[in-house]
Amino acid sequence: MDLTRIDKRIIYLLLLLAVAIPLLTKLELPVNVGPQTEKVFEAIEEIPAGSHIIVSFDIEASSLPEVQPVAEAMIRHTFGRDLRIVGLALFSEGTAIGYNMLSSIAQEFGKEYGEHYIYLGFRPQYVSAILGMGEDINSVFPLDYMNDDWTEYPAFAKVRNYSDISLVLSIADGSLPTYWVEYAGSRYHQKIVTGLTAVMATSYYPYTESGQLVGMVGGLKGAAEYEKLLGYVGGGQRGMLAQSSGHLLIILVVCIANIAAWRKRR
Amino acid sequence: MLRKRIPLLICFVFGAFGLAQYYSPHPIVVSGYSTVLDWVQIIFAFTLIVGVLSVFQIHLKKISRREKLWGYSIVTLSAIIVMASAGFLGGTGRGTAFVWMFDNMQVPMQSTVFALLAFFVATAAYRGFRLRNVEAGILLAAAIVIMLGRIPIGALISDYIPAGAEWILTVPSMSAKRAVLIGIGLGSITTALRVILGIERSYLGRG
Repeated sequence: MDLTRIDKRIIYLLLLLAVAIPLLTKLELPVNVGPQTEKVFEAIEEIPAGSHIIVSFDIEASSLPEVQPVAEAMIRHTFGRDLRIVGLALFSEGTAIGYNMLSSIAQEFGKEYGEHYIYLGFRPQYVSAILGMGEDINSVFPLDYMNDDWTEYPAFAKVRNYSDISLVLSIADGSLPTYWVEYAGSRYHQKIVTGLTAVMATSYYPYTESGQLVGMVGGLKGAAEYEKLLGYVGGGQRGMLAQSSGHLLIILVVCIANIAAWRKRR
Repeated sequence: MLRKRIPLLICFVFGAFGLAQYYSPHPIVVSGYSTVLDWVQIIFAFTLIVGVLSVFQIHLKKISRREKLWGYSIVTLSAIIVMASAGFLGGTGRGTAFVWMFDNMQVPMQSTVFALLAFFVATAAYRGFRLRNVEAGILLAAAIVIMLGRIPIGALISDYIPAGAEWILTVPSMSAKRAVLIGIGLGSITTALRVILGIERSYLGRG
């Protein structure tokens, strides 16, 4: 058998098994918390209870399975710390995702709409929306997702612009955190953290190392680390075994292909 | 003549204002800036309408001419009509038909397509990661360290693996990324200045 030319369908099948079987087991792997996740955790810990933070759902439906555990862990932390959340979406697909996620976690923590969180819905053209919120959030979002005047909620009535926001948390699967950094961060000195897909995490190291982003929680591994810090087992830790076996399989097939190619050359 | 000069003038005035307002906290400038941001949102909302009309135009043409794969155009248009109707008639809140279709149709379909990438990545890695020379060897070693460093098993093998992965991401990878970002930044400034000063006119079209 020529191991340099394994039928791709065999690799597909092996990968399917490598990911599916661990998901059926309840085995958990020990998780070490990385520095990026710790920075985000500390940033949220430092915010005084009752402060307002923005949670922006800058995601599309396609990346939800990977981003959901990240977002859930971070939102659980903010509700657990008694922070008030201003939810919004800068991608249209993130609108329903964000509302569902916020309201279901709020229910879990016994949080009330208008008292502990509000949801402003979607605004197109993210650059002008981010810049506009620096001047006046109400002018960008005059009404909330339910078409009510959100400034009538006493807990949120004094939120005018970024000067009343302790932190922006961008749940993302693309380049939106860059825009938060470039416009809300550099112009309005807003503190920003992000929770995003693993594939995008590498793009944000220049921002975390320069301090423009406080930190980031990247992919399923980041979610698992955050869950460990919060002390519960969620989608991140449950997915670690599947991700581990998937990575190991890829390393294995790459090694097999290289050894076979080397032997062939000799 | 006016067809070109007026857009160039508008572009110069708003571009110069956008640049100048960054340095002025004067209330008139701040208020003008907020108004311009509102205008951008309104203009963008209209471009969404233009976008939807354009999608309809393209697919209706495909259907009427029975072009290749025209059946998919019917599916596309039907999906737009059904989702938009559900949103306009029943609302977009929890428990509505719009959210049900989003949660139970759009999310699983898009997630499935995204998940398929894993299979393509696996076969691409198998075919592409070949140790042909020193550069390919460095790439291969870095890839293996990163893949092991991003899973708990990496730390179980050795503490150096996650540390090595972090080093690769924060030193060589980030240096390259920073160089690219600085290049993009300088390019963006140059292009913006060319547009504001009317040197770059491709946005005016051929007319």
